[in-house]
Amino acid sequence: MAENNKTVVDIDRSVYDIKDVENEQDFYRMEDGFTEDIVKKISEEKHDPEWMRQFRLDSLKIYNELEMPDWGPETDGLDMNLISSYVRSKSDMKGKWEDVPEDIKNTFERLGIPEAERESLAGVGAQYDSELVYHNVKDEVANQGVIYTDMESALTGEYADMVHEYFMKLVPPTDHKYAALHGAVWSGGSFVYVPKGVKVDIPLQSYFRLNAAGAGQFEHTLIIVDEGADLHFIEGCSAPKYNVANLHAGCVELFVKKNARLRYSTIENWSKNMYNLNTKRALVEEGARMEWVSGSFGSHTSYLYPMTILKGDHSTMEYTGITFAGKGQNLDTGAKVVHQGKYTSSVISTKSISKSGGIGTYRSSVIINKEAKHAKTSVSCDSLMLDSISRADTIPGMDIRTDDADVGHEAKIGRISDEAVFYLMSRGLSEEDARAMIVSGFANPVSKELPLEYAVEMNNLIKLEMSGG
Amino acid sequence: MDLKMKVNHLPALTYRFLKSNSSEIDVNDLYIENTKTPEPDMIPAAVTVKSDAAKSDVQDVFAKINEKIKAKQTKLPGPNGDTAPFNDGQIVRTGMGIEVDNLMDEMNVPVMIITADEGYKVEEPVHIKYSLKDGECVLGSQVICAKKGSEITIIMEYESEADAKGFLGISTRLLAEEGAKINLVKVQMLSEGFVHFDDIGGACDDKADIETITMQLGAGKTWGGTRVTLLGRKSIFNNHTGYLCRHTQEYDMNYVADQYGQKTESNMVFRGVLLDNAVKTFRGTLDFKTGSAGSVGDEQEDTLLLSPDVVNRTMPVILCGEEDVDGRHGASIGQLGDDTLFYMESRGIDEDAAKKLMIRARMESIARMIPDEALIIRIQQFIRTIL
Repeated sequence: MAENNKTVVDIDRSVYDIKDVENEQDFYRMEDGFTEDIVKKISEEKHDPEWMRQFRLDSLKIYNELEMPDWGPETDGLDMNLISSYVRSKSDMKGKWEDVPEDIKNTFERLGIPEAERESLAGVGAQYDSELVYHNVKDEVANQGVIYTDMESALTGEYADMVHEYFMKLVPPTDHKYAALHGAVWSGGSFVYVPKGVKVDIPLQSYFRLNAAGAGQFEHTLIIVDEGADLHFIEGCSAPKYNVANLHAGCVELFVKKNARLRYSTIENWSKNMYNLNTKRALVEEGARMEWVSGSFGSHTSYLYPMTILKGDHSTMEYTGITFAGKGQNLDTGAKVVHQGKYTSSVISTKSISKSGGIGTYRSSVIINKEAKHAKTSVSCDSLMLDSISRADTIPGMDIRTDDADVGHEAKIGRISDEAVFYLMSRGLSEEDARAMIVSGFANPVSKELPLEYAVEMNNLIKLEMSGG
Repeated sequence: MDLKMKVNHLPALTYRFLKSNSSEIDVNDLYIENTKTPEPDMIPAAVTVKSDAAKSDVQDVFAKINEKIKAKQTKLPGPNGDTAPFNDGQIVRTGMGIEVDNLMDEMNVPVMIITADEGYKVEEPVHIKYSLKDGECVLGSQVICAKKGSEITIIMEYESEADAKGFLGISTRLLAEEGAKINLVKVQMLSEGFVHFDDIGGACDDKADIETITMQLGAGKTWGGTRVTLLGRKSIFNNHTGYLCRHTQEYDMNYVADQYGQKTESNMVFRGVLLDNAVKTFRGTLDFKTGSAGSVGDEQEDTLLLSPDVVNRTMPVILCGEEDVDGRHGASIGQLGDDTLFYMESRGIDEDAAKKLMIRARMESIARMIPDEALIIRIQQFIRTIL
């Protein structure tokens, strides 16, 4: 095998870099920047009910008042005056794949979305820039009463009251500057409701594609898993690379009701000009379980810390995440958990790989409130440095306010162990093969949590090319 | 005077809602009347003491190592939310930061410089004892310099009259030259009416070693910071901290090991007990700078929570700009295990007695490392009295 196939190489992004520049005249693009006029225009475009129009304007006011956080990666390269908040295809959303415009369809087909839907998904939503272009759910799932639709339809249709009740209640616009921005200009995203006791055996997936240069994507995902129900939701995202900054400030709100279970898996592969300032939060009620599986590979800069509020007694959460920071990337990721109910438990397990000057930061918070008697938490974060021009930092925080808690935390930063390389070499592997195999094994605890086809995608993203492998 | 200082900056800022990025000292109506470091009881051979040193004398002590530190600075990116610029301008970086230096300068606090002569291993510890009366407000500043190949042990003890109120602020800066070793012991047994801060900053040249043992047992509010710059190849920083906080006591600490040199080692152990309404904030950072190949660092925290009303904040940070390092952190926070209590009860020890036994065991596991039997006995007595 060629020598250059024997090392841990950068992600091959060619498939994600498909651009539809030639067809941009078919798109409606809002002027750049974030002003009251622009927010009003978006609201008109989307035929918002009055409460949402006012909500957007109030959020914009909060956005203008809030300051940027002083603790994360720099966002100097992001000029908000050069970001368009809303770009949409002139085609409406389709319920049949063959009706989707040819150019958009080609992009998603090359990303393998329709194939995945046929083979392993219960439903798919595909968002292109600011709007969904395709949404479909299999009949057998719909017949169980599962609602899987785009947010705009949900906002004005049969579920309008439910959306009004839950929309940005878990992540209020006052939460931080980009939550406020999201509240002002959000567009697209999915609404999912799984009725009481319904178990959806195969996953639903939303795929977000940001094609336009210098644009922002602000999709809102709202999922309610009712009592005793069970759902696995997968989120994928990608974008072609441009020389100007793009912005993703989505928001995910998850409500996991009594004794329900929700698994939320993400393979994030934005292009390296993307500022990924995303907010995800779950409220977990009595006896319910929230599981996060998260792979962060793309973006120029990421702030991403899915948060779980264990409100109900005996509620549990598990977060498994991996971050791969390569050249030019500053990925600040992790998780947050708040223990509120009694007998709650959380497990956070993360892996981070830094190479070629990439900066990977694990950041977390664990809060155990006074009422959370018998709470248990275990945090484990491992970082792997593949060279000395990169950075790997771990910045966890814990705030424990009861004696009746059991808190365990361990963090480790290091390189590929010489002993492990020596052992594998003594079994006949070359040094390069041994190193690549160790990195692959390092990522394995995350990939094994994903459905097979996504694990394959993740492994392709890490692109560990092993000699003889 | 009213004292307001921002201290104990976490080396990399994080979420504001955790309220742990730094801490604020806010004390009103201080009347600082005594700023001299008490003379040691006995000055061993090969040790020199200069009591009224000026700032320029301190700059001279650290001049050479600061040149070397400057040469090591790289242009590679620091951590996200890097707070290093906050403490720029310190003669030697300290745990609490530059505002303590500024206070000492502003109050013209004379510095005591204690120097161990080159090549001498000083057998007898140097004792410095602050015995404070009700109403006393004191600032003190020391520099301890272990010349090339020397070893020195300094034991500092802070005590006060029972039920006394007052203020004690201490700055201690350490320089261990090539092959030298400094053992620094600090035991704080002030009454709960005291507000106290203790700021430590140190630097190690090649094969130098700084070992600190700190016991925080008294004072109503305590801020402590220790930052050691491991500049030299194979330099070492070991720290053992024991703390016991009860009633409404607050203890806010910031420990940082800046590892620049190759094959440096840092090892930090923290054992504490929180009772009643006590509040503790722990920040511990291992910072592996680019170029610190072959270095290892370990910080272990073990906190026993013995009241439903305590607050425990823990920020264990590892920053890394070097591939060839091994950095670890472990924390175990919680109450006494059922197994332990069951074992104790099966031996006829009730829960209350078992808890006291475990508190004493934790504190004594640190106290036993102090090379002064009489002081260990005083610590045991102090703990017995307050429990």
